[in-house]
Amino acid sequence: MPRREHLLKIGVSGIRGVVGEFLTPALACSFAQAFGTYVGGGRVVLGRDTRTSGEMLTHAVACGLLAAGCEVVEIGILPTPTIMMYVAATHAQGGIALTASHNPPEYNALKLFNAQGLFFNNYERAELIDLYHQSDFHQAANEEIGGIIADHDAAPKLHFEKVLAHVDAERIRKRKFRVALDAVNGAGAVTTPGFLRDLLGCDLEAIAVDPTKVFPREAEPKPETLGAIAALVPRCHREIGFAQDPDGDRLAVIDETGVVLDNDDVLALAVDAALRRLPGDVVVNLTTSSVIDDVAAAHGRRVYRTPVGEANVVETMQAVNAVIGGEGSNGGIIFPAVHLCRDSYTGMAFLLDRMAETGEKISTLAARLPKYYRHYGKVAYQHGRLGPLMQSLETRFPAAEKDRSDGLKLLLPEGWIHVRSSNTEPLLRLAVEAKSQATVDKLYAEVLRLFANPA
Amino acid sequence: MVTEAARSLRISQVGLRGVIGAGMTAAHVLDFASAFGTFLEPGRCVVVGRDPRASGVMVREGVLAALLACGKDVVDLGIAPSPVIQHTIRRLDAGGGISIGASHNAASWNALKFFGRNAIYLSTAEANELLDIYHLKKFSFVEWNQLGTLLTDDHALDPYLDDLAAVYDFEALRKFRVVVDCCSGTSSLILRRMNDRFGFQFILINEKMRGVAFAHEPATNKDMVALQLAPLMQPLGADAGFLFDADSDRVAFATENGAAISEEMVLPMLADYLLPHGAGKLVITNVSTTALVDEVVVRHGGEVIRVAVGRQAAIDALSTYRPEQIAIAGEGTGATMMPQFRFVYDGIASMLALLSMMRERDAKLSQIVASYPRFSILKGQVPLVTHRIPALLASLRERYADGRTSVVDGLRVDWPGRWFHVRVSQTEPVVRIICEQRGDVPRELYGTLIELVRSFA
Repeated sequence: MPRREHLLKIGVSGIRGVVGEFLTPALACSFAQAFGTYVGGGRVVLGRDTRTSGEMLTHAVACGLLAAGCEVVEIGILPTPTIMMYVAATHAQGGIALTASHNPPEYNALKLFNAQGLFFNNYERAELIDLYHQSDFHQAANEEIGGIIADHDAAPKLHFEKVLAHVDAERIRKRKFRVALDAVNGAGAVTTPGFLRDLLGCDLEAIAVDPTKVFPREAEPKPETLGAIAALVPRCHREIGFAQDPDGDRLAVIDETGVVLDNDDVLALAVDAALRRLPGDVVVNLTTSSVIDDVAAAHGRRVYRTPVGEANVVETMQAVNAVIGGEGSNGGIIFPAVHLCRDSYTGMAFLLDRMAETGEKISTLAARLPKYYRHYGKVAYQHGRLGPLMQSLETRFPAAEKDRSDGLKLLLPEGWIHVRSSNTEPLLRLAVEAKSQATVDKLYAEVLRLFANPA
Repeated sequence: MVTEAARSLRISQVGLRGVIGAGMTAAHVLDFASAFGTFLEPGRCVVVGRDPRASGVMVREGVLAALLACGKDVVDLGIAPSPVIQHTIRRLDAGGGISIGASHNAASWNALKFFGRNAIYLSTAEANELLDIYHLKKFSFVEWNQLGTLLTDDHALDPYLDDLAAVYDFEALRKFRVVVDCCSGTSSLILRRMNDRFGFQFILINEKMRGVAFAHEPATNKDMVALQLAPLMQPLGADAGFLFDADSDRVAFATENGAAISEEMVLPMLADYLLPHGAGKLVITNVSTTALVDEVVVRHGGEVIRVAVGRQAAIDALSTYRPEQIAIAGEGTGATMMPQFRFVYDGIASMLALLSMMRERDAKLSQIVASYPRFSILKGQVPLVTHRIPALLASLRERYADGRTSVVDGLRVDWPGRWFHVRVSQTEPVVRIICEQRGDVPRELYGTLIELVRSFA
């Protein structure tokens, strides 16, 4: 069977696809009308990242929302967390962000928020999808049709005030940190320079901060895509470098020597910063490094593990009233005291605050974390092959503690293995972590062997 | 049970029209505008404007999304009269345009009207192609890095007025004291600007543009004129009074002594004014329009071409002649197209032509109206029962076999000084009945016709 290209996906994560033939304006409009029907009219906030298709889709979504009898508050190009906080703060009925987050520029997606400015949970999404498929939309008559209000200034202010309330902004400003930024010409290009320069007093060297240009690098902020900023940091004598994804929810960090820090370590530093300020537990996904457990244990706090996916982490964070959470591998830091969503701005503020507080370099802070070795990999595969692999792994490691809540995670004395099916692509995702590189390599090779020849 | 509002949806050669929500939905708008974006030749921008209906914002958003997705650069004029949209298409040498608005329908309706290159209405062949693309739903959406750009143009009005000023003597016409019922529509934009820029003396009523509750239905007919406009004429000492529909393409009028004049008079009067002025000797109109047109045109040695009702038939007829052969084209609804304005329905131009006529003849409007033989017309409608239409027409034809019949569109029967026309509406699910007679109102014939048509409902 040939590998299917997933150019359009309408499912529990909303609607996402390649703009043009697949993600059409009519589809976006219908989905928005389903959303408008679901939230029952009223004000709905609409924002977007800098993708070229953002303007076209803004009109399509506004059309669908108005047709459902909603009033549209159009807030322009802004980071996703900023849009979410605006929804909550303005008591709107819901919100839609047009962003395919870290996907390539030809993609776009509708991210859906409820009245609390939170991502639709799994139950809300399932209901919405049913409503979409039933096509039983509210069709507003002329007198029910609201207008479009533009509000382009209030949202960033709201967001940044909340972030700064949880750090000592004064001590950060005093340090006049030399900071580098790569905003990937995304939504962060509009708001991050002001955040770092004006609110945190940084001496800023910024690249890719033109929201009218296309993404200059791969959108996902991971080490192999961050060559430009990694080179810039030591060359321009920066103390730290930040890289965002196009919708400003994910963060990657570069230390002063130009090394891209491991995202799990960045999350660990943020968890440490949060637990120093507030009491409570931590929630991360199954694939996140054990370094989080060590950091939480040092504060006497517990770590809850969830299936992969922001919605799962958020749901558990709500259930256990967690102080902080996130997903290591993808650079997502969720700090509910600011807002229950991934927020690169909270991450930046936390790290600068820790540097100001300790007077340490970011590389030193990272080096203090317990050292783990990891290998995250993926294999293109056909559905149905995960089951045999899981059984083979359980047979191979009979003594391991097992977690089957998302694929299979095996906790071994020397480390852990996690195999799962991607939610968005026909991929098998493999993660292995251990205290030594040799152990990681050995375990990873063993998983690949079992995948090729299930016992 | 299909409600009346649901049956309002009309997808035809003329475009898309219906009651918003129950009939015409966002999905229709997206698909129709996507079909138009696919239909147009690549490379030229598209001009978009709307009338003030609240639903116009929703419809505009859908139109913009679809056109941008087809790779079209779009110039959005915001709220703009149809003639101004059409003028802008020519000025920018755009590939075409869309006017969002249901002109003379109630506020609950909306519609898309399509214009091609040079702002002309689509021919039947083009309109059919557009419909085929719409039904096929295979649209030419471009890739993410070729999407269109949205532009705005806040200065479309003045170049349009410059063109009007080149044809009409503004200096002379501005001395008239004119009351205008804007019907909460877009004509106020033009007229207010004419007052400010050229010193016209338009007194505007129902001027404020409204999205929901129009001051009254924007129908350009005698009854509407009689309702609010005619009684104001004498108290205000006005020379003339005009009433526009929501997008300013149709007009009706009242005389200085407060008489509401049938909308049927607009075309014969303009023909009377234009025929001696230009080379064109042809007047194109439909089979439902007053017989006065024939009398006037014959007087000037011209010729009347009668086609089926609806803009499409008029456009197709126009396209078979050279522009200089034509004096005017129009219908009894008060919608006329003049060659000076490249055959665009333009109520403002029609009004200026009537004022120019008053000036040239140095006559009061009532005197001009009184100079024509009197015809009385009655118009009505009965709900449509589609499958009985052929039987109805056959029965009428047999009953009135003594007259001269035409089947260009439904059935028209003529006797000397008297005629009637029964046809199925293209825009609403009704049968329309019109009858006219020289002199007094043909009440008896009309009553019989209504009864006959009802007996088939």
